Amino acid sequence: MNSLLSRQSILSVLFLIVLLLLAACSEDEGSNGNTNTDNNEDGGKNTITAWAWDPNFNIAALELAKEHYEGETEVEIVENAQDDIVQKLNTGLSSGTMNGMPNIVLIEDYRAQSFLQAYPDAFFELTDYFNQEDFAEYKLAPTSIDDKQYGLPFDTGVTGLYLRTDYLEEAGLSEEDFQDITWDQFIEYGKQIKEATGKNMLTVDPNNMEQLRMMSQSADSWYLEDDGSTPNVEGNEALKSAFEVYKKLIEADIVQNTSDWSQFVGAFNSGDVASIFTGNWITPSVMAEESQKGKWTVVPIPKLSTEGATHYSSLGGSSFYVLNVEGKEKAAEFLQETFGSNDELYKDLVTEVGALGTYLPVIDSEAYQQENEFFNGKKLTSNFAQWMDQIPAVNYGMHTYAIDDILVVEMQEYLNGKDIEEVLQDAQANAESQIK
Amino acid sequence: MRAWKKFIYNNMLFIKIFLVVICSISLVTILITFSSIRIASNLFIETSSITNSNVLNQIKDRFQTYTLSISSSKTKIEADGTIEEVLKEDHNTAKERSYYYYNMIDRMNAVYSEIESNNINMIITSPQNDIFNMNYFNWPVDSRDLLGHSMTKESNRNPDDILYHFADSPLTQNIPMLVATKALVDKDKDIYGYLYLAIHEEEVRKYYEGFTSIDNHVLLLSSKGQVMSSSKQDILGTKQSRLLQQVTGQRNSHEERKTIELNNEEFILLYEYLPFMDMYLVNLINQNMLRENVVDTSEIILLSFIIVIVAVLITFFILKRMTNSISKIVYQISDMKRYQFNKPLQETGGYEARKIAKAFNYMLDELQDYVSILLRTQEKQQRTELELLQYQINPHFIYNTLASIKFLIKQNKNAAALTTIDSFISLLQNNLSNINELVTVEQELDNIKSYVHITQARYGEQIRVNYLVSPDCLSLRLPKLILQPFIENAFFHGFTRKKQGIIQVLIAKQHNELVCEIIDNGDGIPESRMNNLDQTKKLFKGLGIKNVHNRIQLQFGKDYGVDIESKQMKGTKVRIRLPIIS
Repeated sequence: MNSLLSRQSILSVLFLIVLLLLAACSEDEGSNGNTNTDNNEDGGKNTITAWAWDPNFNIAALELAKEHYEGETEVEIVENAQDDIVQKLNTGLSSGTMNGMPNIVLIEDYRAQSFLQAYPDAFFELTDYFNQEDFAEYKLAPTSIDDKQYGLPFDTGVTGLYLRTDYLEEAGLSEEDFQDITWDQFIEYGKQIKEATGKNMLTVDPNNMEQLRMMSQSADSWYLEDDGSTPNVEGNEALKSAFEVYKKLIEADIVQNTSDWSQFVGAFNSGDVASIFTGNWITPSVMAEESQKGKWTVVPIPKLSTEGATHYSSLGGSSFYVLNVEGKEKAAEFLQETFGSNDELYKDLVTEVGALGTYLPVIDSEAYQQENEFFNGKKLTSNFAQWMDQIPAVNYGMHTYAIDDILVVEMQEYLNGKDIEEVLQDAQANAESQIK
Repeated sequence: MRAWKKFIYNNMLFIKIFLVVICSISLVTILITFSSIRIASNLFIETSSITNSNVLNQIKDRFQTYTLSISSSKTKIEADGTIEEVLKEDHNTAKERSYYYYNMIDRMNAVYSEIESNNINMIITSPQNDIFNMNYFNWPVDSRDLLGHSMTKESNRNPDDILYHFADSPLTQNIPMLVATKALVDKDKDIYGYLYLAIHEEEVRKYYEGFTSIDNHVLLLSSKGQVMSSSKQDILGTKQSRLLQQVTGQRNSHEERKTIELNNEEFILLYEYLPFMDMYLVNLINQNMLRENVVDTSEIILLSFIIVIVAVLITFFILKRMTNSISKIVYQISDMKRYQFNKPLQETGGYEARKIAKAFNYMLDELQDYVSILLRTQEKQQRTELELLQYQINPHFIYNTLASIKFLIKQNKNAAALTTIDSFISLLQNNLSNINELVTVEQELDNIKSYVHITQARYGEQIRVNYLVSPDCLSLRLPKLILQPFIENAFFHGFTRKKQGIIQVLIAKQHNELVCEIIDNGDGIPESRMNNLDQTKKLFKGLGIKNVHNRIQLQFGKDYGVDIESKQMKGTKVRIRLPIIS
């Protein structure tokens, strides 16, 4: 032993072995202990994230878009409640760091301007990624600033008046009676139906002035001026007319009050109301109640009695926006190839998700011409698409919901007897002071 | 087997030491390992269980904030006159209902905004099946289902208390929830509505989740034993009566550490009572997983094992080297016979081995020296014997004596011839026997006298010999032929110049020695020749004075021997000292 290996070399070899083993062990310890899972918004260089709400509608649409997408980019879809998304966006964008922000985010058109104007640098311009003429005109204003497109229009909230044909019959009325009518006429019919069937005409949520919004837009008017920031309450004839109609509805005692979504859906699913005055996206919820198959139809909404009133409006609707974070080009390309130009996608959206896009080139396609058995063979999609094209374009501006809240309060006053002019004046004053 | 046995036997020392070393290292390692594990477990429990006051206070604070939100919201709702008013009114017309709905939401919003950030949902139901849900998406519930649920009924029975319920059923979309309920009661004790403050259990878990891990669980236990919230999902919502028993024994667990068995796993149980909720915050630490995960037992054991192996290997090599050199020495020593103790040991190896080898070699050298001394002495003895033998049968003396006798006969001195022959016979008889034999002084004197007689017969009587012998010495014994050479010497060398003289022979006891002196008054011996006395030409070939001296010393030791004093022209004195032998 002595002659082969000297004591020194044996010891140094052993020492090295010990060191190596200790190093290996401590490395194991390190990785066994805390595995930090990074919560990356971008899973990798080739992944983009998209935020949206409503699993049955918007999320389903995104999934469908993924299927149609032939590019290499991976799209991760994250679902959250709309309010949460709004809150997170506000937090993230106001911090200025864009940490944790997704690449694509769905924003409701009513809110879009408040984001676009408050955080001008946060969004990526999409003007060159799609042909603006391919989309319904009314969608372009809310999604742009200074003629630069930042949002890619998604769904339309084109409104319709859904009617229970069996209740109509009971009251001796028909679908034709509701074509091309004013709200006053509607109210009269409503009373008739209430007498005959005992059913209310429609639902109303006192804390949400969506009826006012739909009526305003149908008369080419909005809470705000065209500049999107000046309150347009006082002296707004359409709005005044809408207020009056609302009060008449209440006083005619033909409305059912609701306070949340389930009560709203429950009202028509359980047959408590004879009509629904809302956006076309309610169709799947209506069709969910199979026992009512064949008992529904849809007609254009009544119009106000003011000048320039139409039978066409929108409630809700959102668009896709790309944030100025890493992966923006990839995100824009994804949108470009799916919602921006993919005919097949839009057809499938209608047939599989029931989502009606604002993409005009496919309006005459076969998918859009399908007859809906639930609605007695009516070509629902085709109708809605045609109405969509006629929706007056208004600028929702930055303060739609803020003014809405003010109007909720004022409506109560009005219902209690306050003069309409005063109501509008006070609302205007309130709005002006809040907005400044 | 035999080879093994031989191996063990040969390396006995090494094996013994080696075994001791292994056992010691292993023992130390094991003890320290388990000690460390125990210390680590205790430390973990000290710092990251809820007994750690920091941890506990944080969790308690969080729960307190929660209950504070609940109670403040409840207070505000109860105090709200508008809510009470509209809930109690009749709502027949749309207008009335519109007013009702608007106010409810409006008033609730004012209070809700305070708790919204805590992810607590607020719902109010009226006994008429109206429902007002602040966050529908948080809990999409139907009014009839909610009113018919046991939680509402319980609040009905206990209208004055905030009750906490755990719900995980189709009512809550199968999402586990904690719902605090309170009946809204007016001054007349009539119930006008129910308040529900609901939070997803997931959110409650966040209050303490930061401190939990796979082996360290925290759960919230109601005073009825139901698990209201838990990081251990499998027991969520279940009733744990045994656990409840343990925790209600004493309000907190600071005094002793208990263990409890749940689902066939053993847990260390620590808990704290939350008085503001009448619930228990329970901490369960899985002992086995603790040992496996917090303290990576296998890693410690592996490390210990490696260290033991390494230490053992190093020890092995060192010991082997050491014992090798010793074994080598042992082997060489046992082999020494072959080389007649001549081959020195190799002085290699460790310090101790070299020292041993060196000492051993030194001893060998000494041995060699002694042996050679012994050999030389033996040789000398043999030589002396030989010489004496030669002396004994010296032909010249025989020739000369016979020639003297012949001469006497020729001179017709027959009487003298006869006596000479007698002396010769006596001399020969004496000398031709064992030299080592001891004879008495008397016999030796006779011998000397015979010799003197013969010599005087040949050479005349110019030199006379006197004998002065103390009578008590006569029977003492001494070796033969001690005195004769000196007398011969005196005769033939002492009187070359002086023609006549006297040789005196004195024998006496002195100082416990037998002292014989031969004193002549002859020429003396010059100094130069004192050392060469055994080389002089003389009759007694080879037998010198030094020889006698050696013989004496060989036989009796260094204390005895021959001394010579001589003065030129004065004489020579030879003094022989011998032991007293009787």
